[in-house]
Amino acid sequence: MEPGSASKPNPPFATPRNCILVVEDEILIRMMVSDELRDAGFHVIEACDADEALTILRSVVPDLIVSDIRMPGSLDGLGLLAAVRESFPMLPVIITSSHLPSAAPVCDSATQFVAKPYRPEGIIKAVRGELAKPT
Amino acid sequence: MSADPAAEEIVSSVLIMDGDIVSRHVIADYLRHCGYGVVEAANTDEALIALCEPTLSVDVILCDMSALGSQTGFELASWVRTNRPELEVRLAGGVEMAAQTAAELCESGPHLARPYEPEAVVDYIKRLRASRLP
Repeated sequence: MEPGSASKPNPPFATPRNCILVVEDEILIRMMVSDELRDAGFHVIEACDADEALTILRSVVPDLIVSDIRMPGSLDGLGLLAAVRESFPMLPVIITSSHLPSAAPVCDSATQFVAKPYRPEGIIKAVRGELAKPT
Repeated sequence: MSADPAAEEIVSSVLIMDGDIVSRHVIADYLRHCGYGVVEAANTDEALIALCEPTLSVDVILCDMSALGSQTGFELASWVRTNRPELEVRLAGGVEMAAQTAAELCESGPHLARPYEPEAVVDYIKRLRASRLP
């Protein structure tokens, strides 16, 4: 018998591996992406804009961020990316937009661009590809 | 004859509307552990978009009274009672009340059990807020 096997399960509060922060201001797109990622086995945190993303990043460090570019709030997606890079230079970030940004903001090795509209499986493939890269 | 398998696929859904991402995320995860489908809305405008989306099924709304948006939480609740009277609205005025309401939903929901105590949910939210990096 394993010690403690009869005790109540602990809440799954420790940030699990494969934690993805999805930053998207359109709730239906955010929900679609998040649900697909959950179905693929990822733990997902949903943020409606860059301000919410920065709030959660003060408490939780995800394994990867998926962020839209055009969002309301004090920062857009590229502003969020710049803020993330100050504290987490190697944290993988997938930037999504229907408008191709200039190359400069997204040219580092930890950042990938995925054009909208995208299929959920395209995002999942991109997420898996980024997480599989050697750190 | 076996029961209709489609009936077993039905999962109740909760729309949680909370402007605080920390409490919204933790309570949404708690409800997912209870077996609910969960829609997360950050404000009343997002909640209305979700409620007007015909492909989205929502059974219960857990509504933070202080949520932001073009309507207040009370106004959204009033809109729901007028336009979607079949939906159950639970108003919550703080993280403790929201966690307790989520725990009550768990006891009547898909798994009919709390995965863990609501006090643990509140403690975790408080720890997350206290541990914020500068």
